[in-house]
Amino acid sequence: MTPTLMFALAILFLPLLSFAFQIFFGSKIGRAAHWFSLAALGVTLSLALSFFANIFITPGYALLDVSAVWFSSGSFTVELGIYIDNIAAVMLVVVSTISFLVHIYSTEYMRGDPRYTRYFGYLGLFTFSMNGIVLANSLLMMYVFWELVGISSYLLIGFWFEKQSAASAGMKAFLTNRVGDIGMFIGILLLFMQLGTFNIQAIAEQVEFGAFDGTGLLLTIAGIMVFMGAIGKSAQFPLHIWLPDAMEGPTPVSALIHAATMVAAGVYMTVRIFAFLTPAALEFVAVIGGITALMAAIIAITQVDIKRVLAYSTVSQLGYMVMALGVGAFQAGFFHLTTHAMFKACLFLASGSVIHSMHHALHKIDDHSTDPQDMRNMGGLRKKMPITYISMVVASLSISGIPFFTGFLSKDAILAGTLAYYHLHHGWTIFLPISGFGAAIITAFYMFRLIFMTFHGEPARKDIHEHLHETPGAMTTPLIILSVLSLAFVFTIPSTVNPFNSQGWFTSAIHTGENFAGLDMEVVGEALHHAHEPAMMISLTVAALGILAALLFYLFKVVDVEKLTRRVNKLGLYNLSFHKFYIDEIYDAVLYRPFFWYTKVVAKFDWELYDQKFIDWWGWLTLKISDWSGYSDYTWLDQKVVDGFGKATRYFGKELRLSQSGVIQNYILGGVIGILSIFILFQAF
Amino acid sequence: MAEVAFIIIAAITLASAFFVVFSSNLMYSGVALFFTLFGVAGLYVFLYADFLAATQIMVYVGGIMVLILFGIMLTNKIASTDLRQANRGRFMAGLSAFILFLLISAIAVTTQWHTGSPQFLDTTVAKLGMMILYQYLLPFEVASILLLAALIGAALLSRKK
Amino acid sequence: MSNFSSIAFYLPELLLVLTILAVIVVDLIPGLKRFNWIIALAGIVFTGVLLYGDSGVSESLYLGTIASDPFAYFFKWIFLIAGFFTILVSRHTHALRGADLPEYNALLLIVVFGLFLMASATNLVTVYLGMIETVSLPSYVLAGILKNDRKSNEASLKYVIFGAFSSGLMVYGFSWLYGLTGSMSLSGIQQGLAGVQEPLALYMAILLVLAGFGYKISMVPFHFWTPDVYEGSPTPITGFLSVAPKAAGFAILMRFFYSVFTTNSLTTIAGVDWLTLIALLSAVTMTFGNLIALQQENVKRMLAFSSIAHAGYMLMALSILSPDAIKAVMVYLTMYLFMNMGAFFMVIFAENQLNAHTLEDWKGLGRKAPFLGALMVILMMSLTGLPPSAGFVGKLYLFAVVIASKKFYWLAIVGVLNSVVSLFYYFRIVKAMWLFSPADPKPVKADSVIGLSILLFTIPALLLGIYWTPIINLIDKSIGF
Repeated sequence: MTPTLMFALAILFLPLLSFAFQIFFGSKIGRAAHWFSLAALGVTLSLALSFFANIFITPGYALLDVSAVWFSSGSFTVELGIYIDNIAAVMLVVVSTISFLVHIYSTEYMRGDPRYTRYFGYLGLFTFSMNGIVLANSLLMMYVFWELVGISSYLLIGFWFEKQSAASAGMKAFLTNRVGDIGMFIGILLLFMQLGTFNIQAIAEQVEFGAFDGTGLLLTIAGIMVFMGAIGKSAQFPLHIWLPDAMEGPTPVSALIHAATMVAAGVYMTVRIFAFLTPAALEFVAVIGGITALMAAIIAITQVDIKRVLAYSTVSQLGYMVMALGVGAFQAGFFHLTTHAMFKACLFLASGSVIHSMHHALHKIDDHSTDPQDMRNMGGLRKKMPITYISMVVASLSISGIPFFTGFLSKDAILAGTLAYYHLHHGWTIFLPISGFGAAIITAFYMFRLIFMTFHGEPARKDIHEHLHETPGAMTTPLIILSVLSLAFVFTIPSTVNPFNSQGWFTSAIHTGENFAGLDMEVVGEALHHAHEPAMMISLTVAALGILAALLFYLFKVVDVEKLTRRVNKLGLYNLSFHKFYIDEIYDAVLYRPFFWYTKVVAKFDWELYDQKFIDWWGWLTLKISDWSGYSDYTWLDQKVVDGFGKATRYFGKELRLSQSGVIQNYILGGVIGILSIFILFQAF
Repeated sequence: MAEVAFIIIAAITLASAFFVVFSSNLMYSGVALFFTLFGVAGLYVFLYADFLAATQIMVYVGGIMVLILFGIMLTNKIASTDLRQANRGRFMAGLSAFILFLLISAIAVTTQWHTGSPQFLDTTVAKLGMMILYQYLLPFEVASILLLAALIGAALLSRKK
Repeated sequence: MSNFSSIAFYLPELLLVLTILAVIVVDLIPGLKRFNWIIALAGIVFTGVLLYGDSGVSESLYLGTIASDPFAYFFKWIFLIAGFFTILVSRHTHALRGADLPEYNALLLIVVFGLFLMASATNLVTVYLGMIETVSLPSYVLAGILKNDRKSNEASLKYVIFGAFSSGLMVYGFSWLYGLTGSMSLSGIQQGLAGVQEPLALYMAILLVLAGFGYKISMVPFHFWTPDVYEGSPTPITGFLSVAPKAAGFAILMRFFYSVFTTNSLTTIAGVDWLTLIALLSAVTMTFGNLIALQQENVKRMLAFSSIAHAGYMLMALSILSPDAIKAVMVYLTMYLFMNMGAFFMVIFAENQLNAHTLEDWKGLGRKAPFLGALMVILMMSLTGLPPSAGFVGKLYLFAVVIASKKFYWLAIVGVLNSVVSLFYYFRIVKAMWLFSPADPKPVKADSVIGLSILLFTIPALLLGIYWTPIINLIDKSIGF
């Protein structure tokens, strides 16, 4: 076993060890048990950094590529393996950094929770599953860890399961994800059927050498099916509904799984399969991303719960990443994944810091009815919580795409990608840049709406305000680290410190993407290059516009927001946004209810249709036959047929009423008719 | 001659079997069963299964039938109650069973069955004995466990608790 | 092998018979009466010890009426495990408190004996005797053992009638097979069929035989008895019936079809592609089972319908009937043994402690008993087939076989869609357990034996989802007929 492999296995299993430790010994040791988890995650992080360092020492793509037979069944062998290239190395660092910081942060945030140690256990389990996705070399292994992520996120979101809403949010997240996962599973099976392998590299290779020839329709379908998994995990329209509800979990959890890891897993998976997504499949991906980015941003404008704003903002940003991959801006998509992980985790942790402080203040004044997360109860927090404030502003500037911050670099690249795509394809694809720039202006607006409502102005509630104070060091330190990581130079030094130039170690480590399924990456690269400057101009303008609007609305109160809302709402627009485009309601009406109705029908089908209707049909046939053949007297037949019809109907009604399910005679009759039907059915064909 | 006898016996067997199923009086059903079992014994004779026919009469007609009749007579409530037939789906049941019957007989008649050369034995007892105690010893023994299960089951269900 | 020398290879079964007798005799001795269950359990354990000695044996016994081969060996372990825990748990089932446990144990052991016979039968006589008689007859009594419970009586009666119906059809089918080939042994039939040019008769015979086998594994359209019997029987018996006889049914189905037909490469009979027939029945079976399970409010009845669906999944592989397919069914059965019986133990726990039968009654159970509730989540995951659980591995093997055969892609898709549907009703249980506050939040403690049994069955339901090589190795060795 080479040291590299050992390191990789340690990265994978250390968090699992932390999980096992917390579950078995945690409650006995008590609070001090978190040191074990911190140590395990610390080592994980440093090992991840060692792989990361390798990017610079040995440039080249696969840092580690090993596999072993997992099991074989006759001609069918499945391998289990680890594959680390630069992308995986960066992703490992992202995951373990955020996870480590969240661990530190949680020691304070979760202090005094009755299931404190179990919480750390779940964090470990989650990190383990997430690292599994990152390290997987095959789609099957990825799928397994994919499901594990689903389960551990279910545990984390529903961590406070005493709270009804938390428990059902966990369930909702899990079930919604499953819908996407089924598509992914079918897609994986399709690929396996066609190519006989689950290995991602091997699939890409076979596609390169023309395994799917002709129109590539099947490959498109397979690609879209696998991408379905990402739609679920990365909360893309139309399966985004779980993510805002998932805010019921503890806030550090939101930072970990809803900013940096779980939701990013979908994007990461799309990055992995990018090489064999056909242009048609990518078009689908781009459209889904575009819709998500714009729609979620619009919803975020009207939310009042501080975490829900961030949740929709996350959905919107994920839409950006997906859209980036869809338009072929591979590097930009992954870049945004990385930068977003940092600044969004920072935002979530900062909001957690605010909530934590609010919670304590409310506790002190013995107020248990006020919502500590409602921004309408905040205001003027700037002076009380300076560190939180500054880090949140930094992260907000970053997400809004202001130069000197990371968000600018990655978002700009994505916007350039959408513009380039429009230049190449024209027509309806104008939707993509519109959605991209539209979402950008809205993002700037709602982020600064959040800042102004929370930290500026007069305190909404003086009594609460008095008791607010800055959170302890365990919580503010991660904030500081993350806000530093949101500064642009982190990704560009040492090549450049020019804030408008994104060329740095990141862009040289992460290639611009390869595609073997028909997309010419050179053309895309060329177009990207040309679109770069106009994109930067527009994006700067829109970001400034968004911030300006927020300033006018919420800081200087030049515009009366109430009035504007009423006016806009004449068209129902405000409500549309506030109620999240009514998507949950639509699902309820269009999916859930009809489905349960349908199963009821099928349940009836067994008893009433098969058992009775079908059997009655034989009875009807008997009557007919006896009518036709037995007697030839015309008038008699006439009478019989005419009122026999009425009689027969009555007879059926009686029959239906009389024979409930559970009549053994009918069971046996069912068996006999079954045999007859099978015989005739198969003999006839 | 033998054919006439066969038809008569078969007719008796079938007719009494119908009566067993359709009679609403348990006593009549019981008596009719007597004829059915007798008829089956007669059919065995036609198949040169002399020992089997004798056993059929002794065990079923002489033993089991008498027990059933005793049972009916001793529990006088059963004898006097009119059995209600719950076969609401007679039409369909009849029709589908009839179609299945037609299908099976059509196939049976047209099929070329595997036939060995007929051997006329003086008595089948020796052969049966060999079969039961040599070739099919295990099933024969297992049948005793089965009977044990039946005994336990019967005792269990009839015991008052 | 001759009758006499066969005895040496028939020791486990003989010990079972001895145990049965001992249980009955001990019941008559006043002072020893209460030890009958220990004797029953010890009998099973020692049977297991003797059985272990049969490992690797491949012999045809008693002049070819049965075989002691690795295939049967594998199934016998399933029966022993299921039987052992059923007896153990029954003693702690409150509903069975008034019942006659000595007789109950004896009957259960007779069923186990019958299952042994079924798994090793190589002759139509032993197939019939083992399957319909020695397994079914005591099962009828066991289903109706709660004499004061109308539902239990009803279950028993329905079971008897439907059982008589399908065994009648099956024996009739056997007579046709004998008529066509002049042989009662499976190998004789296989040779005899080589020269048979009677497709219609053969097709009819298969259909009739399938009625009998289909009844045992509750395959549509011979599934009608399942929900009523499963719901009415005492829960330990339901758990047992849903696993052991079903496994035996699959064993005999595979042995029968594999040794009679595939070696002749009779993939079509009478112009009928009977593998397609099974594929179709599989699709219908799983779809019916799942969709109707979705509507059930009674947990036991829901699990009954779901067991129909599981039979459908396994039939999927049977429509391929290659050695790989047989292996996949065996893998699935192993996983199914643990996850399904575990779930039924959980039902027993709920009935014991809370008298809970419907989903309504189950509400908040997870909060009242968090540990067992968590175990139940794992079991439900496994039954749904989510990774990393035993159920997932089982399904993976089934799907892999279907896909690898490149014959019934549509069937694999139907199967995947069906597992999605099953997610919804299995998670209705989870939802009821965890998403609602109990009316009475007082924690409940399980009887230690029941709690331990649930744990013991949950561990493999999870562990085998991660590391299942030992099972595969065992099954690889068990594929010989």
